[in-house]
Amino acid sequence: MINSKLERILQKVQKPGRYVGGELNSVVKEKSEVEVRFAFCFPDTYEIGMSHLGIKILYSLFNEKPYIWCERVFAPWIDMEAEMQKNGLPLYALESGDPVRDFDFIGFTLQYELSYTNILQMLKLAGVPVLAKDRKELFNIVVGGGPCACNPEPIADFFDLFFLGDGEEVDLEVIELYRKCRKAGASKEEFLREAAKIEGVYVPSLYDVVYNADGTVQRYIPKDGAPEKIRKRNCMDLDAMYFPESFVVPNIDVVFDRATVEVLRGCIRGCRFCQAGFLYRPFREKSVETLSRQARSLCETTGYDEVSLSSLSTTDHTKLFELLDELHTWTEDSKVSVTLPSLRVDKFSVELTEKIKSIRKGGLTFAPEAGTQRMRDVINKNVTEEELKKTVSIAFNNGWEHIKLYFMIGLPTETDEDVTGITELGHKVVDWYYEAENRRKGRPVSVTASAAAFVPKPFTPFQWFGQDTIETLEHKQKLLKSTVRNRKLTVNYHGAETSFLEAVFARGDRRLSAVLLEAHRRGLHFDGWGDCFDFDAWMRIFADLGVDPAFYANRTRSFDEVFPWDHLDYGIRKEFLIEECKRAYRAETTPNCAEKCSGCGAACFGGGICIAKRN
Amino acid sequence: MRKEIRIWFSKKGASRFISHLNLNRCMSRAIHRAKLPVWYTEGYNPHVFLSFAAPLSLGFEGERESMDIRLIEEMPYDLLLERLNAGLPPDIRAYEVTEPVMKPGEIAFAEYHIVFSGGDPEGTSEALWRILHNDALIVEKKTKKGAQQVDILPYFKNAGILVLGGGVMMDVTLPAGSEGSVNPSLFLEAVEPHLGASVLAKVQRLRLLDREKREFR
Ligand code: SF4
Repeated sequence: MINSKLERILQKVQKPGRYVGGELNSVVKEKSEVEVRFAFCFPDTYEIGMSHLGIKILYSLFNEKPYIWCERVFAPWIDMEAEMQKNGLPLYALESGDPVRDFDFIGFTLQYELSYTNILQMLKLAGVPVLAKDRKELFNIVVGGGPCACNPEPIADFFDLFFLGDGEEVDLEVIELYRKCRKAGASKEEFLREAAKIEGVYVPSLYDVVYNADGTVQRYIPKDGAPEKIRKRNCMDLDAMYFPESFVVPNIDVVFDRATVEVLRGCIRGCRFCQAGFLYRPFREKSVETLSRQARSLCETTGYDEVSLSSLSTTDHTKLFELLDELHTWTEDSKVSVTLPSLRVDKFSVELTEKIKSIRKGGLTFAPEAGTQRMRDVINKNVTEEELKKTVSIAFNNGWEHIKLYFMIGLPTETDEDVTGITELGHKVVDWYYEAENRRKGRPVSVTASAAAFVPKPFTPFQWFGQDTIETLEHKQKLLKSTVRNRKLTVNYHGAETSFLEAVFARGDRRLSAVLLEAHRRGLHFDGWGDCFDFDAWMRIFADLGVDPAFYANRTRSFDEVFPWDHLDYGIRKEFLIEECKRAYRAETTPNCAEKCSGCGAACFGGGICIAKRN
Repeated sequence: MRKEIRIWFSKKGASRFISHLNLNRCMSRAIHRAKLPVWYTEGYNPHVFLSFAAPLSLGFEGERESMDIRLIEEMPYDLLLERLNAGLPPDIRAYEVTEPVMKPGEIAFAEYHIVFSGGDPEGTSEALWRILHNDALIVEKKTKKGAQQVDILPYFKNAGILVLGGGVMMDVTLPAGSEGSVNPSLFLEAVEPHLGASVLAKVQRLRLLDREKREFR
């Protein structure tokens, strides 16, 4: 696929391996033999995109169909993009090298709000009009899916349709519909009208928005027979759900370079800040047999010697130990190690560390999320200081001395005491090290506490909460730093400004499309990267366009406000979220789904934990 | 049983951009995937024992690269190659297995084939001739002691230049061993300003040689 133009450019850029494809298990087809070409775009660098599980699942799923050829596209880094523009090389797909503008579908995965400008940049580099209304043919259909599709309004003007929920079935149905419409010579409008009838498909152009005088949404008016509410798609039987037998194996270093199996989908916990915990309800798990088979197949087709058991909360799998034992029946002989992406404070045990050798490698990471019990009750992170003490003591007594703790600041009802509670807890962890009798002596203990700024998200009990202003967040960050009394404790935090921007777009409405378009015109992109993020430029755009970002980020909403995502139905009842919000402010916890059903609404999908027997 | 073998492979196309470190990983994965009966290092985190003769610069094609591994069981070489290739990126192909005759430390030279395409071939060849018939070609060479000015022209006195089809070929044998090496990219950087803007140079390393310029085996 490397032509002489590209060849010349590759000599001038960093990490040319990002831009050439040619990996093991990448799929190359004969283009005359396929009917639909799908450009799967990840709006970030190759290294990040290739670490993402979702893209690997859908890539294989599409390519199993003989009539579809799905190829990968990543955002070229700024050096590459400058060379491409200078030399008139349009954005191309990695398998064929063909321009993205030649593809039937241009699909974006929507993982984080700060990648929105990259989407526009990629469309521009492809030479495809960024606004959906300027793409008139039944071709270059721009689609999006992933967590940010739960409020896609800020990017609604650029997309033809969004997939809500699990993509494994609905994506293929839409491709099939496209194929039919092409054969019948239908128009793009006809195709979109039909697509809107498929469960899990949201066509933003089929809805008019009416706003109130105060700038809030009054209502969404569906047109041309589009449904009032668009329900997300859910695959209930994970054992039967598609999962690839092989992955594309990158030739260059990527963030996560290993085999990954998805152990379960959803989460039982109900942490009130966590959007994923609500979007992917209900909790569903794969059987031990399925997981072992899938993990083995991946290792055998890729040569990876590491398999990661991925999910929102892997240690909540009801048969975790059985699974680990089953994996051990073949991983040891095959020299494969098993890893867990995260550990829950209350699920850590000596037994677990014995079964998962990889835990042995580096430091241990836990996420208490908040520094005081009151604050943890507010966010429903049902972890106590006692449990943390027990866990880190086990760790210290078993040879660990590096502990990393994740926290959030800027949570609802948070006081300065809750903030300093973070450093206090950090100090206690250091003390518990010295109390641990069997600790490895003569080694310095180190505890790191990282504090992220909380971003309120749709479909969570905190969706009404006005985010702390940048000033308040910075005050809290300083407070954190100033209360550190021990060199063994390191406190760090990241960007209040990026969190602010993320909050604007997370709960934004359609009027923000104009802001994104202007940001794109002014050359902003790669906002998630410190070396590219230009906060002042963003603030100038808001000012120039007369848009108040605080309206979206910092304003506390009332319970009766209509949200730009209220017509999207993720199975979670708004009344439930209101109830959860009120409980949060009373610092009342809610039991997790394994203990008791709290009636969130996700039982409407008729499966998973909602229909499971409880002890 | 423990038997050292040398696997010969080519590295072209997209795989030119696989760095030396990543080539190591890529081969380890392919060997692991092929379940070859090879020796793994002992210890907490066992990995395939393998070593390469001489690293190839990023972006160069290699026609005859080699990698040494240790077999702990006999295995027919054709089967070994077949299984190994199944797990390699399509642009890396293993094609021969031999028992090592020389040690990688004996490597002293490398044979390169450089193709200049695009632009006007006659003009390119003329420019190259002129440069090669100058008194010196001073380039900046980065060494451990910092940047150094060196004249690399003497190394290029044996270079052959040929205009063929739409391009210009240059064949040259350069020092490439523990006692010092000259990377053709030094030459390319120095001549680039004298060639047309549309000329593109592509480097292939054909094979490695010992001090007596016998083929590395
Ligand atoms: S319906 Fe009940 S069990 Fe199901 S996800 Fe909601 S709270 Fe959990």
